[in-house]
Amino acid sequence: MDFDLNYLLHQSIDRSAERYAERPAFHFLDKSLNYAELVEGANRLAWTLVGEGIKRGDRVGIFLHKSMETPVAVYGIMKAGAAYVPLDPSAPVSRLRSTIQHCGIRCLITHEQKKQDTFDLLDDETPLECVIGLDAVNKPGIRSLAWSSLEAAPGDRAPDVRVMGQDLAYIMYTSGSTGLPKGIMHTHDSGLCYARMAADTYGITHEDRLSNHSPLHFDMSTLDYFSGPLRGAATVIIPEAYTKLPASLSQLIESERLTIWYSVPFALIQLLLRGLVETRDLGTLRWILFGGEPFPPKHLHALRRLLPQARFSNVYGPAEVNQCTYYHLADDDPDSDAVIPIGRVWPNAEGLVVDEKDQPVARGESGELLIRSPTMMRGYWDQPELNARAFYRRPVAGGVSDIFYRTGDLVEEKDDGVLMFLGRKDRQIKTRGYRVELDEVESVLSAHEQVEEAAAYTLDGSEGIEMIQAAVILKPQQGDIADELRNHCARLLPWYAVPESIRAIESFPRTTSGKIDRKALHGHTLQRQRSEAGL
Amino acid sequence: MKAAITAYVVNELLSGKDVGEQDDLLLSGLVDSLGVMRLVNYLEQQYSVKIPPEDVTIDNFMNIEAISLYLERCMGT
Repeated sequence: MDFDLNYLLHQSIDRSAERYAERPAFHFLDKSLNYAELVEGANRLAWTLVGEGIKRGDRVGIFLHKSMETPVAVYGIMKAGAAYVPLDPSAPVSRLRSTIQHCGIRCLITHEQKKQDTFDLLDDETPLECVIGLDAVNKPGIRSLAWSSLEAAPGDRAPDVRVMGQDLAYIMYTSGSTGLPKGIMHTHDSGLCYARMAADTYGITHEDRLSNHSPLHFDMSTLDYFSGPLRGAATVIIPEAYTKLPASLSQLIESERLTIWYSVPFALIQLLLRGLVETRDLGTLRWILFGGEPFPPKHLHALRRLLPQARFSNVYGPAEVNQCTYYHLADDDPDSDAVIPIGRVWPNAEGLVVDEKDQPVARGESGELLIRSPTMMRGYWDQPELNARAFYRRPVAGGVSDIFYRTGDLVEEKDDGVLMFLGRKDRQIKTRGYRVELDEVESVLSAHEQVEEAAAYTLDGSEGIEMIQAAVILKPQQGDIADELRNHCARLLPWYAVPESIRAIESFPRTTSGKIDRKALHGHTLQRQRSEAGL
Repeated sequence: MKAAITAYVVNELLSGKDVGEQDDLLLSGLVDSLGVMRLVNYLEQQYSVKIPPEDVTIDNFMNIEAISLYLERCMGT
């Protein structure tokens, strides 16, 4: 193609390779891929996928730990015309299998590190036909190809596949209240529109070095993976181990000379409390973005004092719309306990704050935020009922209507037009930035044969982090099965959704209508913690 | 010592999932940074050592073997 086109997500790396061939695109520990090498690797993978029968609209799974193969997989899949589906590399086998089944994934991309886990996935019902990244698999009938065998495919050009902006680019799975995770479908249009909005809002250039703190299956990774390549910047993939060891993490930020940071507040709080930030030179950081959950103000302001040269911004938006509001902290923002706003809806989007009947509320009153934006998802994969409920259609004229996504978030608009996040309409919570439906946790616990009834709720941990707690009523004559229940949850739920504590009690506090009074349970737990601490 | 640390990690942090002494402890999501904190607290109490934040690094905590070598150094000095 001779035109300078960039209307598909993967064209960003082709365009950047024309201008910045030798500049690093992705970096992981001591390895680096420049733009020319990334394009070559992605082209080879795309040819290989097409050779395996992958066509436009197909879904290809990515089952990788953070590595140098990850960006090649993301861009190679899109170059083949398919949508990538990032799988949580630590999710329980049963959950991975049901996602692969639900999304109809026929081809999986992995690496040797995940060999045993991949073998565990391949049961008799698997729709998988091909695994790329292993030289052999344990199941006859499933083809396998090692990464090294891709070198035979052409690297200088991509296969000629007809793809357009409205086609699917990626599907991200997130907790669903019924127990079945839901797949958020994004197109090249919605993903690229987000990449552009973010790159403009934060002024990303080819000289920037972005952090990639979020795992690939977490929607925040799209800023790192799409906005960086759009502008020819370098994205530094932070290995999993560094995200858990703040003292090593701060060392990495210093040695990699990162300029833009994006993560959940939880990661920044760990950095503040145990990252030895005062002993490092982190002067290259020019913009720190945080999102996914509220940032406790006292920690935020403490971090701002340690990094006075950096701008700080709150990023808000459910994965269904990528991002939709922003709030830049001003130099004179008071160093107080005041909650940090989620800010203003960005220019190419519209927000409505409505009551239960979808009527706009008066400014200053609480209501649900509805968002209309070109960065919005197409819907949930194969969930017609959910899709019917997820959107609000506002009639305009001439038979036209505007489509808004119902965020389920309760907000309030201040006099200056800035939005404040107040809470949720439903029982979805955020823990360390991860979305969890408490109903899903309860349904998993209740499914255990020795459990009569279960309730899940959250409690603020010592560092202002919401942690999931559970209480259960056991069937008669059961001994102590707390460990067994924990393991049961770990087999069925992602690690971050496993309750921190599971307590057996005789009966639940109830509301007058007979429902479990989760607020009272929450209060009881607080009281018990205080008395145990001798307060 | 390795056996005791392994037992703690498997039972308290990994919900019963087995782990080898040289397996990368921090690769999976099962042990997150709060899990590392709990492990540090446990080691401090169990072995009567003080583990300063600057020692909680990749080199010392990447796997159970590294942790036990680190603790031996702590207790030997």
